[in-house]
Amino acid sequence: MFKTPSHILLVDDEKDFVEMLSLRLQENGEDVLAAYNGQECLDTLEKKTIDVIILDVKMPGMDGIETLKKVKKLHPLVEVIMLTGHGTIQAAVEGMKLGAFDFLLKPADFKELTEKLKRARERRKEHMERIQKAEAAMLLRQSKI
Amino acid sequence: MENSDMTDQINILLVDDEDDFRRILSKRLTRRGFYIRQADRGENAIQMLEEESADIVILDIKMPGMDGIECLRRIKKMPGMTEVIMLTGHADIQGGVEGIKSGAFDYLSKPVELEHLIRKIKQAHHKMQRIQAEKEEAAFKERVTQQMVVAERLVALGTMASGVAHEINNPLAVIQDSAGWLQQILDKPQMQDMPRRDDFQKGLERIEKAVKRAGKITQQLLQAVKTQTTEMADPSSFVETDLHKLAQEAVTLVEPEASLRNISISLTSREPHPSAWTDPLQLLQVLLNLLSNSVQATDDGGQVFINLAATLEEAKIIVKDNGCGISKENLARIFEPFFTTKEADQGTGMGLYVSWGIITSLGGLIAVESEVSKGTTFTITLPVKK
Repeated sequence: MFKTPSHILLVDDEKDFVEMLSLRLQENGEDVLAAYNGQECLDTLEKKTIDVIILDVKMPGMDGIETLKKVKKLHPLVEVIMLTGHGTIQAAVEGMKLGAFDFLLKPADFKELTEKLKRARERRKEHMERIQKAEAAMLLRQSKI
Repeated sequence: MENSDMTDQINILLVDDEDDFRRILSKRLTRRGFYIRQADRGENAIQMLEEESADIVILDIKMPGMDGIECLRRIKKMPGMTEVIMLTGHADIQGGVEGIKSGAFDYLSKPVELEHLIRKIKQAHHKMQRIQAEKEEAAFKERVTQQMVVAERLVALGTMASGVAHEINNPLAVIQDSAGWLQQILDKPQMQDMPRRDDFQKGLERIEKAVKRAGKITQQLLQAVKTQTTEMADPSSFVETDLHKLAQEAVTLVEPEASLRNISISLTSREPHPSAWTDPLQLLQVLLNLLSNSVQATDDGGQVFINLAATLEEAKIIVKDNGCGISKENLARIFEPFFTTKEADQGTGMGLYVSWGIITSLGGLIAVESEVSKGTTFTITLPVKK
């Protein structure tokens, strides 16, 4: 089966976790980049095209919520899935109010994760298509003038 | 009848070897409403007290065989709080003093004036009641202190355990994804002919199963700690809850498991619709936990009861079984996290800990009484009002 890889950015301070989850996603044919803190996440977004971010809530320094706020401000079309521990579901709810697509409890079920990734990517794709249509309509109108 | 002071509740043993004196005094005291037994010798008195204790013993000092002082000493060694009034001969002040030194309440000289004796009996009885009340109060204080000690211990244990759970969640996620990654590779078409593929498959499945179990434990633990550290449950989830309906729901859910082993679950309630202002989902979780524990602790063909009672102030839910019971050492620890006597993969030791956390956060109390091979009773007390 062929599929176009999603460009996924995985943000978590736990290096082993990032590595293993990246390997799994890559095994499924996804294109995965890693960032180990909030700042790295923002830096990567400047350089690369990313469809979906998987973002840990609990990180030293800039935490997940702070990072999310900045991501949504600078790159509003990137979808974000929050990863939380059981004690931080509150933060996940807050994250979704701030525009995150969904959240997952750690340790996350991989099937659930791939399902949510798929839906996040679809939402982004549809959104992009609507923007393109709107742009096309705009260009069409301009060319008629 | 002059028993307005509830003299009929005072249980007296009258001990004197002079038959006429004893019978007349006994008759007069009985007429005043006291409950009187008689003994003609010290030895007989001791025997009668061993069969049935008395509140007050009226005891003649001078008797053949065991004399009054010896008899008094024996009575004071017996369990219970019996008070003794000594009767002495006309000029025998010394005997009376010795009696008081040996623990008598007071002494009266013969001939005895009835009103005087009755006054002394009542005084002695008051003293007894006061001591009893003090003892009960001390016992109550002791119980409250113990409960506080237990609660503090549980909170401390919970805090530590949840810290551990948080820290373990991350490596757990790494283990899970490492195993998952290997599984993904193993599922590829080009791996189907790998040597000893089944062994790899088996190992990976075990890892996955164990990680799931560990994940469940950390999840329960963190939930339990969350319910108690927020101190009070979220009041917005509180509603007027029909306890009978809720208990019926719990029974329906546990019944299949119970009926497999021929265990009956009966639900009774004192009022037609006992209710409480509480969080029904959380309470249901506790009831399910208690009921399934009871069913598991009960032999085939046993019985489990839920009794409900509600006043204007508080509601009581009592879950009782005639199962194997809990030993005294275990009873002190059953609310601790991870404490279990079940097989390793049968229970996590979190059920009662979680239940305790929930009931505490609902503003209630959960208590347990148990006797080995007789059964166990859990009593939940919940506030009824908003």
